[in-house]
Amino acid sequence: MTWIAGCLMLVGLTALDPPYDPAPHLAVIAKTGPQGEGSVAAKVARDELAKHGIEVLPQLLVAMDTSNAVAANWYRTVYEEIVARELARDETKWPIEFFKEYVSDAKRVGRPRRLVLGLLDKLEPAFREKWLPTRLDDAEFRYEAVGLALAAGDRAAKDKDQSAAKTEFRKAFEAARDSTQVTQAAAKLKSLGESADTVQHLGLVTEWWLAGPFDAPKKTGFAKVFEPEEQVDLQTKYRGQDGAELTWKRHHETDTLGQLDLNKQLGTTREAVGYAYSEIDVPREQAAQVRCGADDNCSVWLNGQKVFGRDQWLNGTRFDRFITPIQLKAGRNTLLVKVCQGPQHKDPEVPNNWSLQLRLCDEQGRGITFKTIESGR
Amino acid sequence: MRSLRIVAVFCGLICFLSATSNGDNWPGWRGPNRNGVTSDAGVPTTWSATENVLWKMPLPGIGTSNPVVWGDKVFVTASEGRDQGELHVICFDRNSGRERWHQRLWGTAPTLFYGRSGMASPSPVTDGQRLFAFFGTGDVFCFDLDGGLLWQRAIADEYGPFENRFAAASSPLLFEDKLIVQCDHYGASYVIALDQQTGANRWKSDRPEVWLSWSSPQLVPSGDRVELVLSGSEKLDGYDPRTGSRLWTVRGLARECVPTPVVGHGMLFVVSGPNGTHFAIKPGGSGDITDSHVVWKNDKGTSFVPSAILVGERYYLADDKGIGSCLDAHTGKLIWKRRFGDKFTASPVSADGKLFFTNEAGSTLVLDATQASYEEVARNDIGEEVYASPAISQGKFFVRTAKNLVCVGIK
Repeated sequence: MTWIAGCLMLVGLTALDPPYDPAPHLAVIAKTGPQGEGSVAAKVARDELAKHGIEVLPQLLVAMDTSNAVAANWYRTVYEEIVARELARDETKWPIEFFKEYVSDAKRVGRPRRLVLGLLDKLEPAFREKWLPTRLDDAEFRYEAVGLALAAGDRAAKDKDQSAAKTEFRKAFEAARDSTQVTQAAAKLKSLGESADTVQHLGLVTEWWLAGPFDAPKKTGFAKVFEPEEQVDLQTKYRGQDGAELTWKRHHETDTLGQLDLNKQLGTTREAVGYAYSEIDVPREQAAQVRCGADDNCSVWLNGQKVFGRDQWLNGTRFDRFITPIQLKAGRNTLLVKVCQGPQHKDPEVPNNWSLQLRLCDEQGRGITFKTIESGR
Repeated sequence: MRSLRIVAVFCGLICFLSATSNGDNWPGWRGPNRNGVTSDAGVPTTWSATENVLWKMPLPGIGTSNPVVWGDKVFVTASEGRDQGELHVICFDRNSGRERWHQRLWGTAPTLFYGRSGMASPSPVTDGQRLFAFFGTGDVFCFDLDGGLLWQRAIADEYGPFENRFAAASSPLLFEDKLIVQCDHYGASYVIALDQQTGANRWKSDRPEVWLSWSSPQLVPSGDRVELVLSGSEKLDGYDPRTGSRLWTVRGLARECVPTPVVGHGMLFVVSGPNGTHFAIKPGGSGDITDSHVVWKNDKGTSFVPSAILVGERYYLADDKGIGSCLDAHTGKLIWKRRFGDKFTASPVSADGKLFFTNEAGSTLVLDATQASYEEVARNDIGEEVYASPAISQGKFFVRTAKNLVCVGIK
């Protein structure tokens, strides 16, 4: 009798146990950081969390919405373990609606949203097909959505439905931030007689005043201060390489991605420095980014303040290679760029490129609106 | 009952012996001695896409890291996704190929990458208790051998993203209680030693003068000390692996270095190219030892990607374009040169007196390493493209193809 009573008491106590609260264990993992800090405690917390089932997934996913990359991976190991276990069971009641809301919340970090979309592919295979084309303004899924719009345009064009094709390609062009997709969409629109300005869309600076080459032997160009860095006066004449007289030359770059070839514009040379200068008018004060790439390297001054410079050589111009946050003021802003040209590579067949690409955009990569001021005219 | 117990013990003994007796493990990049050579025996010399294939398992992504074998476990890393930021560490059963565990993780700072290798160029390394996996995203993960995550370092988050057009490829090494990772890139480069237990820094040595390279570090004994050797940016640097302080430098390497130096006969053998130079160098000394410690040089037939191999008195290499050469290890003089066929990314391996050169088409040329002359034993086509260096362990030859992990052994 005593034994039965004991069992009943135990059952009763168990029934009264509060449900598992994952918050303390999630908080332990959130403290992981640099230098492997917090790993021992995180391992214990992780193992405890992984003992539980589907009920911890919503809180786990909320915790995974973090910029702490180390903590995110600890959480992920729990997520993968629970999901694998639950997928093997038939009776799991998945919080599908929570998953859909989570994956659709563009304010959340992209990585776990993508993970949940992968799970939804298993739980509700039709979801992705309907949902993804709607994500044109979603930084995490924009690339795929634009790809779908381009494919839809191609299908319409193949079916001779030009109107539908134009609509899809325009949608793709407006939404695209990836330079390859921007140029693809623009080319497709142009093939249908439509206009599409990639330069404006990406915020590429293509109107320049150029001066150079200044003499800069033995890779001294990056550090050496030449006159344009002290003051830009477009009427000034400088003494350049080999004693040549240098003046500022107006240049309009026609490359669709704003790739400026200084070998063509300033002459093929080596161990030199060239300057590119532009003045732009922006309608309002705003945070923006300057994104640039140069061969061999570049330094950028905005309104007389140096905002970027990287002392590297022989590394090639690549689109959006360097990204720097800037603050543009309303009205006139000046941009000065210094591009260094190093010595010829020891292999004479390696081309000695001297080039620059620079654009002004928001943090998603959409070009900001600006007008070039025709300085010096 | 007693007889059952005896049978069980006997079976256990057989299992243990089969797992441990037939040669070495392959614990990291280029095997037990980090030079492609193992004392393993019984390795098959002939196979095809079907012949002598014990098992074949699909991989979830791309990579050129070599398989790592410890006991009955085979570890492979891979990456996938648009930016290759989805990272995989997989453990297969050596005998059956069954997936024993699979960890999926996020890379914290993906970079530009090479289409064949993604973020999984560096080979993982194990000490038999823990597995350390470094990825081109700048992440280092430490697992127990059952797949439990023990610690992670997001070093590209901590010290700046790697600026690397093909993603970082350097395979870390273990030294005493440290994991040493070479991080040469266009940004702020460094070599870092992490505590194997905790992941914390033991030392970090900045390399402000270097740029991009994909070479892996090497250890070389020198008198009563061990030196850590890093190639990259037109030079080879020797470090104290206990402190990270720089000891010496040899100038004259290629601008961007990929091959890993090999060690033997009291020398370091270093190649970098293409159109570069083979060096045989005596370690030791301090400062610039270019003029005092270079034993020989040879500027013919250097490679950009594949590492060389030293077997006995001879030094072998297949360059990227498929030209094989054999040099005298003591003098650097050419012994023979042959067109092997097709291009090479994988580095050669050796066991049982044989040399194995696997080209990008998936054909492995087997040579007799006991002969000074060129002696071809076989050419084996696995039927798939191969960019990763093979592994040899316990009588098996492990080939990571572009899509699969294949275990070759005598059936």
